[in-house]
Amino acid sequence: MKKKLYTIVLGLAIITLSACNNELTDINKNPNATEAPLPAYLLTASEKHAADLYWGSSNNYNTSLLFVQHWASIQYTETDCYNVTNSAFTSLWTEGYATLITNLNAIIASDQGNDNYKAVAQIFRSWVFLELTNAFGDVPYTEAGKSVLPKYDTQETIYNGLNEELKSAVAAINTSGDGISGDVIYNGNLTKWKRFGNSLRLRIALLLADRDESTAKSIAGEVKDGVFTSNSEIAQFIYSDSPQQNPFATSFDTRDDYRVSKVMVDKLKSLSDPRLPVFAQLPSDTSVGDYVGVPNGLTTTDANSLGFAKTSRPGTYFLAAHSPAVFFTYAEALFDLAEATARGFIAGNAETYYKQAIQASLNQFGITSASVINNYLSQSGVNYDASNYRKSIGTQKWIAFYGQGLDAFTEWRRLDYPELKAGPANVLEDKMPLRFFYPSKEQSLNGNNYTEAVKRQGPDLLITRLWFDIK
Amino acid sequence: MKRLLLLFTWLFCGITLGVNAQNLLRGKVLDSDGQTPLIGAVVGVEGESGSHAITNENGEFSLKVNKVPVKLKANYIGYFPAIVTINELRKELTIVLNENATQLNEVVVTALGISRAKKSLGYSAQDISNENLTKAKESNIVNSLEGKIAGVRITNSQGDMGSSRIIIRGETSIAGENQPLFIIDGIAIDNSQLNAGGNSRDFKNAIADLNPEDIESMNILKGPNAAALYGSRAAHGVVVIKTKSGKGKKGLGIDVHSSTQIATILELPKYQNVFGQGADGQFSYVDGKGGGVNDGVDESWGPRLDGRLIPQFDSPVVNGVRQATPWVAHPNNVRDFFELGYTLNNGISITNSDDKFDFRLGYNHEKQNSIVPGSESRKSNITFNANYKVTSRLSVGATANYIDTYAPSLPGGPFGQRAAGVMLQFTWFGRQVDMNSLKQDYSRNWNNSYYSNPYWRAYYNTTSQQRNRIIGDVHFSYELLKELTFSFRSGTDYYNDRRKYKIKYGTNGTPYGSYAEDAYTLNENNTEYLLHYNKNLNDDFSLDALVGYNIRNKSLENNYQKAPRLAVADLYTLANSRDALTSSNTLSRLRNYGLYASAQFGYKNFVYLNITGRNDWSSTLPAGKNSYFYPSANLSLLVTEWLPSLKSSALSYLKLRGGWSQVGNDADPYQLYSTYTSESAFNGNPQLTSSQSGKNSNLKPEITSSTELGFEAGLFNNRLHLDFAYYNTVSKNQILNLETTAASGYTSQLLNAGKITNKGVEIQLGATPIKKKDFSWDTNINYASNRNKVVKLDDAGRIKSYTIYSSTVQVLASVGQAYGTLFGTAFLRDDAGNIIVDAKGLPKADPTQRALGKFTPDWTGGITNTLNYKNVSLSFLIDASFGGSIYSGSNMWGQYAGVLASTLPGRAAEFGGLSYYYPGNDNSESAIAGKVGPSGEAISDNGIIFKGVTANGTPNNQIISADKYYKSFYSINEAYVYSSEFVKLRELSLTYRLPKGFASKIKLVDASVSLVGRNLWTIHKKVPNIDPEASFGTGNGQGVESLSLPTVRTFGINISAKF
Repeated sequence: MKKKLYTIVLGLAIITLSACNNELTDINKNPNATEAPLPAYLLTASEKHAADLYWGSSNNYNTSLLFVQHWASIQYTETDCYNVTNSAFTSLWTEGYATLITNLNAIIASDQGNDNYKAVAQIFRSWVFLELTNAFGDVPYTEAGKSVLPKYDTQETIYNGLNEELKSAVAAINTSGDGISGDVIYNGNLTKWKRFGNSLRLRIALLLADRDESTAKSIAGEVKDGVFTSNSEIAQFIYSDSPQQNPFATSFDTRDDYRVSKVMVDKLKSLSDPRLPVFAQLPSDTSVGDYVGVPNGLTTTDANSLGFAKTSRPGTYFLAAHSPAVFFTYAEALFDLAEATARGFIAGNAETYYKQAIQASLNQFGITSASVINNYLSQSGVNYDASNYRKSIGTQKWIAFYGQGLDAFTEWRRLDYPELKAGPANVLEDKMPLRFFYPSKEQSLNGNNYTEAVKRQGPDLLITRLWFDIK
Repeated sequence: MKRLLLLFTWLFCGITLGVNAQNLLRGKVLDSDGQTPLIGAVVGVEGESGSHAITNENGEFSLKVNKVPVKLKANYIGYFPAIVTINELRKELTIVLNENATQLNEVVVTALGISRAKKSLGYSAQDISNENLTKAKESNIVNSLEGKIAGVRITNSQGDMGSSRIIIRGETSIAGENQPLFIIDGIAIDNSQLNAGGNSRDFKNAIADLNPEDIESMNILKGPNAAALYGSRAAHGVVVIKTKSGKGKKGLGIDVHSSTQIATILELPKYQNVFGQGADGQFSYVDGKGGGVNDGVDESWGPRLDGRLIPQFDSPVVNGVRQATPWVAHPNNVRDFFELGYTLNNGISITNSDDKFDFRLGYNHEKQNSIVPGSESRKSNITFNANYKVTSRLSVGATANYIDTYAPSLPGGPFGQRAAGVMLQFTWFGRQVDMNSLKQDYSRNWNNSYYSNPYWRAYYNTTSQQRNRIIGDVHFSYELLKELTFSFRSGTDYYNDRRKYKIKYGTNGTPYGSYAEDAYTLNENNTEYLLHYNKNLNDDFSLDALVGYNIRNKSLENNYQKAPRLAVADLYTLANSRDALTSSNTLSRLRNYGLYASAQFGYKNFVYLNITGRNDWSSTLPAGKNSYFYPSANLSLLVTEWLPSLKSSALSYLKLRGGWSQVGNDADPYQLYSTYTSESAFNGNPQLTSSQSGKNSNLKPEITSSTELGFEAGLFNNRLHLDFAYYNTVSKNQILNLETTAASGYTSQLLNAGKITNKGVEIQLGATPIKKKDFSWDTNINYASNRNKVVKLDDAGRIKSYTIYSSTVQVLASVGQAYGTLFGTAFLRDDAGNIIVDAKGLPKADPTQRALGKFTPDWTGGITNTLNYKNVSLSFLIDASFGGSIYSGSNMWGQYAGVLASTLPGRAAEFGGLSYYYPGNDNSESAIAGKVGPSGEAISDNGIIFKGVTANGTPNNQIISADKYYKSFYSINEAYVYSSEFVKLRELSLTYRLPKGFASKIKLVDASVSLVGRNLWTIHKKVPNIDPEASFGTGNGQGVESLSLPTVRTFGINISAKF
């Protein structure tokens, strides 16, 4: 009796235990997410996340767009006074690396794609690294994604490295090869991607120009015919309806914290710029009757007292749900060519490129009437001053960049025009911000490399000047 | 594996058959109540020093006798011996012994429902009786443990309907669950606190479903030593709950109880009532959105509340013009918002039993109205428990506990959801606001930029919860042989938890409203096969051994759908959406097989050695490496039984105990391979994005090892009882989601890393200083001190911290520090410790962040005193906690917004404000001290100088306005970290028990009435304006508070009667 029992129980135990392992592995297969994604889906997600990151509050309208004084705060003016919290710039770093670069790396490594996917991903990844280094300075590049404690590379290494990557990526695109899908920016048009890659190289050339003229010159020479040729090639991400709408639209749906800055409004007025009605709205109090900008860097009290209804909100063009996040315009490419010519890197007429660039920008914002454009260009305030190309190009580029906070901020630092002043309630003792500081967590998560970078580059503060920005 | 098979075989081979039935005397030894078995009593023939028998866990013995009649003597420690004359063999004998007042005889329900004599345990175990649990009628049963058991720490969050977190002996898991396992009648049950990501309200942890009246006893097994047999989850201790059954009392019994509790606010922040809403001393209401003068500002830096006339939101409008009404303070406006809370709890239970069966059927209903208007919940429990002895060998039984909880509206949560937070709107507030005006008309509000009327929010923007749960099991046991029993139990905890989040159309900030449904289904099943052997091998040695096999299955499913904007007002269904629905769902499953064995050897009733071993196979670990084994051993030595000469009137008994154990712990499901998550398609293009957390396909199990030493002593004829324990726990190979720099490709990566130690001491002292016929005074003191240290994170020592929780301040596990360090910004100071200010006179922040404190306390303790006079007893409990810190967001935002009384210093001349003017009345310039402006500038009297030094070391003398002052350090975390120490009068109760004589005259077995109060008085604390025990929820990230709901104190009356 007991022997029988013994056998039965033992037998049961053995049977159940042997079936163990297979069942256990099956149970642990994740039903909630994929482990092998298709490149097309990764590409769409990368583009959307990039647009949200570039156009959203953390990196654009609540920081760089205020620093470069396109917009101003009318409530909660802390950031406009440069009083930022230690986590203010974390999302650019976190999303940039852990979402965008990781996704794009996954496309490059995927065996489900083709060479064109890899090339496009490499171009877009280079754009991400470029935004990171222009904002923070020295950042991990060569070891990014490869080590738990990656070292920070110098800007020089990064610019040169990106240039090489873009060069090989553009060369690798095969316009008659397998197409790509999931591309919301260019809808799979590989020629446009090539032009985007070349335009990025031109941008990098100018970033190097004040430090390493010869490299800058050779890059400019290589790409001058390969950059954008029309407004139809603008690199932009066109949004959809809520909840996938333009971040500016989301902000103004529920809050009312921003207005067009006084500096911008006054500048556009002084130039009789036809873009003023596009960039700004008339105040909601119709008795005012004119565009009124808000000065940057006021206390919340002072800002409030200017009146929510008596100041100009940004134009409806920008606040529409489908409004695009614009990464790289045709106008910028032309301004870059103008500057390259002015510096003697390439042959050509700087003034011609300059005028074409302004026209491209006006067209971009819907101003096509030839007479309006000509009137505008013939003004003395808009004339190209060959003795001070920085001033001419810098000022018009600043206007053309309206809404593109991060890149406007970079170019303003590089060209030093227009001349902006910190607002009255600023907390930096009247200095202006010249970079984003590193996310506070870097000190604890990657302490040794962080300390080394800070030693090399300067204190981890808003006012530390970056390598590309010589004055 | 092989080891266990051998053990298995050995047990079977070791069985011997019973003695010759003819001379066998069987019987039972029971306590004086006629029910409780006495385990380990010695029964022998009087006068003969030869063979004797020892009673088993049911109090049964069988003794071989030579002839009848015979005189039997029964002995039991702490009881008076009894001598009984036996005349015939056939009868089943019952011997009743009377207690000699000692605690060594307690029976403790240990792992797997096996009763053990407490004296035989080599580890610390403490229990709470039903009376102690139900006295205070806490609706969340975890709260009733506060201050009563050494080493057990309870924190509750979000006021009177929130959740509670229970930690035993400090946190041992850096990242994982630190709360203990809950077992009811052998069934493992779920204690999750399932929170949605979208609405940050607090949902009660699942244990709150239980009805304290159903519980007979709650035994806390404090660490791996006690709980190794339970498997992985035992590393943090086990709370073993035994519910009431019909056993014991013969015949029909009916219990009725009823209680009513009212709740009032224990503490609200101290508000200032001198200045009203606005900024810069200016305010005038037009539309609450900025259309007037600072009328969109949600802070109180406005005009002085001196009765001057100002148009306000509730001023009458005459001919389209809003009139100006007196600008006065309403000091009780926040208090007036809250209502009197109450809880009604009624229940009845019926029990019956006889020789073959017993059952208990109970019903309980609880209705709770929160102090927050509109919030309430209702809970019904139906419990059933029955056992039936089919034959003398086979008994079967089943339990079922059905719980239906419905809360049409739960109180709101912390910062982040403008539509949902209760205290958010009272921190960003105008001190002149008349709450009655808000109450009369929900559609108007004092501020329309960011908030809705608080009554609008309370009644229209609701979170409802419906939870239907069943906890039940079936079990049977079959006595194969006298000493060998086979038992089977399959227990399930299954529940559906559905939440609905409503935001009404027209709410400020979310003009179209929204509606979301969030549904969880949880199913945990544990099936146990057990073979239990209990025999006295010979006169000196006893053996109690078992082998068991456990299969655990758990699944959790969640389905969330949201209509982001409603199309039409007041229709809350997903079809009524203006936009595409956002939705998500997750499924999580795991399975675990466990094979375990334990053996307890007893020698002569004074030495006991317990050995256990368990091997688990888990689905969450990599294939081929998913098996892990962990043993334990402990020893108990009753010194006074071993050396009776040591016994004296001073020392009644002394027991030494100690042991070592290990517990292994697996991972959560799906941690092996990195994944890509789907996001809503964009214009028809599907989106997949990399998860920001990197996984690890080489995960290993965590191992926690614990050594425990202790003693129990009874002194002065057992009038004083002392229990001391020292423990040292080391947890290694922790499965950590280590935060890494995003530049590594992931913001966190899963690694086996980390070593954390907990060393501590627990002292429990029980005494009866006065014991007379009619009056006695009992006191119980417990004290526990735990030193917790994170020894290392990664092996190479490069990673310094692990982030447990992060918001304004980070809560970290940092190498070399205690678990739960608060890390954030600090003031920039010079070498002498003075704060450095900038050119404008504002304090500077140190760019290097610092450790600002830790949330884990250094020690906790409690005292319970009970005074009994005849039929009346009075008891009160005071508990304390010292050494922890808390970051208070309520104080931070309250100062920023100017609503707290702590912002009064310096705000006017009578509060010490300095006089100053701005040159040219330009307030972007620096203020200059003075009572007269040289060019007739306006003079202000709200100047303050921040106490500090300038960059070159000279004392700061730059005047700044009061509002600038109080806003200048909001982002410097150090300013708002406080000590979380406290001493609280936790519980007070006065009970009158009907005298037995009188009771039986009116056919009652027992009846009592009590008056009870809880959280009556915070005797001492250091953090201003909030309760130091406030927190967000039950996760590991404690020590950070923001905008928490006020704690309540409750008063009530309980009536109970037994028929």
